Amino acid sequence: MNDFDLVRKNLFRRKLRASLMIVSILIAFMIFGVLAGFYRAFTAGEDAAAADRMITVNKINFTQPMPIAYFNRVRAVEGVRQVTFANWFGGYYQDPKNFIMALAIEPNTYFDVYRSEFEVAPEQLQAFMRDRGSAVVGESLAQKWGWKIGDRIPLNSNIFSQKSGGHTWDLTIAGILKGKADHVDTNFLLFQYPYFDETRSFGKDTIGWMILQTTSPENNDRVAKAIDAMFANSTAETSTDTEKAFGKAFAAQFGNIALIVLLVVGAAFVTILMIVGNTMALSIRERTREIGVLKTLGFSGPRILTMVLGESVLLALLGGIPGLAIAALIAMALRTSLSNIAPAFAVSPTIALQGLALMIALGLITGIIPALNAMRLKIATALGRG
Amino acid sequence: MRSLWLQVAAVTAINLKSISQRRWLSLSTVIAIALVVIVLLAFLAMANGFQRTIAGSGADDIAIVLRAGSQAEINSTVSRDQVRLIEDGPGIARGSDGKPLISPELYLVVDGIKRSTKTKANLPLRGIGEQGSELRKGVTITAGRMFNRGSNEVVVGKALLREFEGFDIGSTVSFGSTRWNVVGVFEAGGSVFESEIWADLNVVQSLFNRNNIVQTVRARLTSPAALSDLKNHSDTDPRLKLDVKSEASYFAEQASQTTDLIQKLGWPLAIAMALGAIAGALNTMYSSVASRATEIATLRAIGFGGFPAFVGTLAESLLLAAIGGLLGAAATYLIFDGVTASTLGGNFTQVVFDFKLSPWLIGEGVALALIVGLIGGLFPAVRAARLPIVEGLYAN
Repeated sequence: MNDFDLVRKNLFRRKLRASLMIVSILIAFMIFGVLAGFYRAFTAGEDAAAADRMITVNKINFTQPMPIAYFNRVRAVEGVRQVTFANWFGGYYQDPKNFIMALAIEPNTYFDVYRSEFEVAPEQLQAFMRDRGSAVVGESLAQKWGWKIGDRIPLNSNIFSQKSGGHTWDLTIAGILKGKADHVDTNFLLFQYPYFDETRSFGKDTIGWMILQTTSPENNDRVAKAIDAMFANSTAETSTDTEKAFGKAFAAQFGNIALIVLLVVGAAFVTILMIVGNTMALSIRERTREIGVLKTLGFSGPRILTMVLGESVLLALLGGIPGLAIAALIAMALRTSLSNIAPAFAVSPTIALQGLALMIALGLITGIIPALNAMRLKIATALGRG
Repeated sequence: MRSLWLQVAAVTAINLKSISQRRWLSLSTVIAIALVVIVLLAFLAMANGFQRTIAGSGADDIAIVLRAGSQAEINSTVSRDQVRLIEDGPGIARGSDGKPLISPELYLVVDGIKRSTKTKANLPLRGIGEQGSELRKGVTITAGRMFNRGSNEVVVGKALLREFEGFDIGSTVSFGSTRWNVVGVFEAGGSVFESEIWADLNVVQSLFNRNNIVQTVRARLTSPAALSDLKNHSDTDPRLKLDVKSEASYFAEQASQTTDLIQKLGWPLAIAMALGAIAGALNTMYSSVASRATEIATLRAIGFGGFPAFVGTLAESLLLAAIGGLLGAAATYLIFDGVTASTLGGNFTQVVFDFKLSPWLIGEGVALALIVGLIGGLFPAVRAARLPIVEGLYAN
């Protein structure tokens, strides 16, 4: 029988107590896994932002339009490799509840600017370019509604109306867009700006925002200043920022999610820490006499310290690992239904590693006081007690 | 029968008096339960505060007219001709001068800087018609004065001033190339309007290039029942094709989604944490039973029944849970009640609201705590009741 067997046997001496502790640790790490996964998904846009991509919006606010003429002027700015633009459509499918993130885009340049993020098969892209009334649909959105290439779908807008008075644009699906990495959200639809602009009843010749790619991230500052200076004192002044900064500012508008996550995980952890710590102390106290016997048999103080700590760390791992696994399953199950607000909701390897570190920390913190007490215990006191 | 209750009372008293022997274990259960209640109540107070702010904004006798299917003000457009047709519609109250009490409004999103995080946030700038402030209940200017018609002046809501930088009276704010002077601060009964900036409709229209277009029309109705007359009027006139709602139902719709989301996040979290706390409570109570095994067995040996042991253990667990629940509620009240927060509302702009705890919510929190105590005490109580006497006597 080696020390590990002893640790294991000690831990499960009271099966019920051990199981309860494992359950509470499991729940703590389940909460940790889910919240961390959710938070990561929420900030995925930030991580996905390319360093050389910038966004130009109307200085008043990004929901205010700017003239389409800006597109060609920005194109000519030195240090700009490529520019494209998009306009928010306020789309929904059949019922206003079925919100669809739909953008009217500049068809020739949009896919070039986002080429590191997603791809469309070349023949599908050509079909999209040829047909003004067509659309490219993200993989997960197509999956959600069972759309296939060639389908004709009615897309409604809760903002725009057509010159003819209706609110519905009929679009043919020309291509399915695939994300190039795991965190890329493909829950959107893109269609041609020229077609949109011609048919809408108001706001003609204005665009929502421009996305530009600089020749190198070092030029970002200079390019931003040049663009904003170009439109200073015009009717539509602009504000140019990196994609990352823009995404971060937008996420902040929902309120401080990070703080809430921290508070809840913190509260759950303190709770578990107290329960586990107390029970460990209790179970060591119960074994005082035994520890005395072990010491008499020649077990050194440090060896006993390691064994007690080993017991609490083992407990934390036994609860924590399945907890994280359950969190991963929950994330998988919720992924599609939450794809609107939190795409790429998953327990990533980074989160798993952080969780593992937390488990070891939890084990060490809860075990340290009982372990030190056990180490320092004098044989005479131990055997005399109880 | 009477002796049974005496037994119960005696054993319960012994249990409760002996809590101090297990003070650390008991305290950890109390704190664990308190933390569960804090998390739950913080979420519920947030949802409640948000809902009160939004739902409290609407009146029954005010109609709000939007473009059909637009759902929120920001997505709506109403033309000048349509405004005139609504003015002459049935059910609309008139002032002493015979003019209809309506306010065509233009709702725009502008940037502001949040005081706490220094980040950009979407703020609503509302161009209001002449009657605009009279159509909202409890609007009073608390500092400065109302803007003058036809000038670049704005008044700001109290909540907006508190949460966002640069809107103090006398300061100048620029939206795009236009500069506006802040001349007053208004209060609007804690409603969502307190998160807005108000200016004269005509000035906003011309400076933002939105001539001839408004987004919504607000109208005072002769009575709440007159709403259906106005609805019929809009439905039968092909030039209108507008959605007519009472302001109260409009805001109720706006509030429900976010409130739902907060609650759907809060309850599962609290329940998951409660399961952890149950494990802790079970632990405490099993040790309580174990440490009193000899005592329980002795009582049984001298003729006490199993039932008093059962009740005694359960009572101890419930008492600890109740203390935890009340402690949690008190802590939530001290930490969160009245805390100001803001988030994106239905119009894609910031809504400033306060966390608001209510007696009903505190009741929900304490109920959750008691459920934890009940489940956590039940199994150990059964064990106490069934403890074999001989085994108990030799327990130590």
